[in-house]
Amino acid sequence: MGSLDQFESAFNAAAKEMFRPQPVAIGRVLIVHDLPEPLQDDFLYLAKGFLSTLEQGGKVEWELFGGSERFAVKSVLDAVESYRPDLIVTYRQLHCDAVDWQFGLGAHVDVLTQATTTPVLILPNPDRENLPNHMLKNTDRVMAVTDHLAGDHRLVSYASEFTEPGGTLYLAHVEDAAVFDRYIRAITKIPDLDTDTARAQIKARLLKDPNDYVESCRAGLAVQARGIRVDGRVKLGCRLSDYRELIDENEIDLLVMYTKVEDQLAMHGVAYPLAVELRETPLLML
Amino acid sequence: MDISLLAASDHGAHAVEPWITYLFTGLLGAMVVCLALEEKIHAKKSVIVGVTAVIALLLGAFTGILPFGPVDLPNGHKMNLPVFIPGIEWGVVTIILGSSLFVDVTSKSGLFTFIAIKLTKMSKGDPRRLLWFYGVMTVVFSAVLNNVTAMIIVGSLSAVSLGKLGQREKLLGFLLVEGLLTNIGGLLTLISSVPNIIVGTTAGIGFVTFFLKAAPYVFVATAATIVMGARVFGIESLKTDEERAVALGQVSSFDERDGIESMGFFWFGAAMLLLFICFIASASFEGWPIGKLGMGFVAMMFAVIMLCKFKSSVGKFYSGIDWDLLFFFIYLFIAIYAMEQAGVLELIGKGIEPIIGMGDIFGGGLLLVSSAVASSVTDNIPLAAVLANILNSMNIANDSGMWWSVIFGANLGGNLTPIGSASTLVAVTIMHKHDLKISFMGFVKKALPFAILHIILATAYVLFVLKHLPG
Repeated sequence: MGSLDQFESAFNAAAKEMFRPQPVAIGRVLIVHDLPEPLQDDFLYLAKGFLSTLEQGGKVEWELFGGSERFAVKSVLDAVESYRPDLIVTYRQLHCDAVDWQFGLGAHVDVLTQATTTPVLILPNPDRENLPNHMLKNTDRVMAVTDHLAGDHRLVSYASEFTEPGGTLYLAHVEDAAVFDRYIRAITKIPDLDTDTARAQIKARLLKDPNDYVESCRAGLAVQARGIRVDGRVKLGCRLSDYRELIDENEIDLLVMYTKVEDQLAMHGVAYPLAVELRETPLLML
Repeated sequence: MDISLLAASDHGAHAVEPWITYLFTGLLGAMVVCLALEEKIHAKKSVIVGVTAVIALLLGAFTGILPFGPVDLPNGHKMNLPVFIPGIEWGVVTIILGSSLFVDVTSKSGLFTFIAIKLTKMSKGDPRRLLWFYGVMTVVFSAVLNNVTAMIIVGSLSAVSLGKLGQREKLLGFLLVEGLLTNIGGLLTLISSVPNIIVGTTAGIGFVTFFLKAAPYVFVATAATIVMGARVFGIESLKTDEERAVALGQVSSFDERDGIESMGFFWFGAAMLLLFICFIASASFEGWPIGKLGMGFVAMMFAVIMLCKFKSSVGKFYSGIDWDLLFFFIYLFIAIYAMEQAGVLELIGKGIEPIIGMGDIFGGGLLLVSSAVASSVTDNIPLAAVLANILNSMNIANDSGMWWSVIFGANLGGNLTPIGSASTLVAVTIMHKHDLKISFMGFVKKALPFAILHIILATAYVLFVLKHLPG
């Protein structure tokens, strides 16, 4: 006799998350920098060139804030409040003498990403050398990363908006293998649960939902007729190293991820380690 | 009860002292009370009835009322069997065992979830249309599968789909209406509910006759219940185009093919389900060899055919069988058999005689209402088994409305209380699972107007309409 839970599981599995495009309008961009005046235009030019795809959606107003004079974090927040940008563009360790140390993002970026609701685009530091050849030229290879892809409509909508027409949008979802193994080890100690069945079925289910969602994104974005190719990368593994590997092997131009979580001040899950470690890859932090 | 195949040699051919009859009557009363308080005493039905059967057999052995001795076989041979074996209605047991297994394996094809989700999508997410679709689906599934499975499928889908549609506040109304409709759908065919199987087989009512006689009532009662449910629980249609567009988008995300692992097995399951219904229906045709083997054989045959698909892993289906239910029946038949030997059924029959003596109109009506009231507080299966046995022993004609009074009363009584039937109990379980708190009296308060409507409709139907129908 089929049990209640059996059928409820079947119906829950059938109730899939379908991609629902969210409106993304980037009309005003605020660039926050610590550059001396002669270099400011170069940086603006670099940013505009990199984000040229945004201009295709309509006119974009660009505003610069900052300079070589040290400024307080509070003044940046005030500028955001008064200018009300749709996007903030900046880079790590503004006015920080730890710029050569690879252990953080700097106070300004930390606060901007968490204290404002505006998406923040973090570019490699302007004085950074030896960037890969493809970097900062365009955004024809964009990757959205998350540990909860299914239903992340906003993440996918932003990532697709920043992908050049004809480009490739990678949707990456890596389930943490260490956590998975820990749960399976617990199941091996529970006589009522069959370990092999649990391992196979939990793994399959964890990967099926994001894969189904990728399919739905592919169909949803095809309707928009921007010629964006959607490529799903769903796997069980080590998040940090696997994301890094995916980014390297696919020569990703822009990484899109969430940083904010309700009820917590710290950055979302794997976002902080990725932001700290991927210093050569532009990051769009939502 | 039809136990002619294995009739005990001196079955019922002895006089019983009155004190023995009263002793066994007390035992039967204690069993009924314990079954009504099943939840309170934390004991499964099978254990309660099993203890009763053991005590009844021990008392029967010590008082010398049990018909020990070899049983006569149809070919003239005699066979030694334990005294309680001839008392078990193996036809009923095999129907329940076979159809449970068949439904369980067939559900693995994704057929039932496919139908359920397809209907959800066809509703376009409109709550009123959803209530109609789910209501009709509950009735059809109750008729074809069984009440409990129907409630599980439709109830769990209601919880998921209303959650998805953001209409969670309507879940209580949906579950209550569906719970009530399982007992109405349970009236549609001979195999839809256990009381039907017990009373129908005892009275010799065929599958087709049963369907033709019960279908008009089921149709009217279903429509009345859904219309009333929509009004009572405020289940309205969506008003604006925007609401309709959002709801359509939400139900569109259901994938009816998600549960289908193999299209071949899906179509095989669908074909077998149709064949199952045809074979069960034709099992009562005279001259049809399979009919001689009985509906229990048909159910077991189809279960075995479906199990061939999972020939190397049938263990999981065997372990999924509701053994509590099956042993409940087996022990119940043994207990009733012992009661019969002790003259208890004869005693109850004498109590019912005045009701039957009132004639078809008053007697039939009173029997229906009293059966409904009795089955609302205790299990309708022992009630149906006892009453069927009594009507049989009183030589009530097969076409008498009395049989139908018992069938309708035993089924519809389940709508009066949450413990009245297994399927309403499942509905309440789903309510609690989704934090919809409803007390015993809260359920009665909400269900009472529906139950009264059903019983009034049924009484009028049995007394004035049924005799004019073919069959």
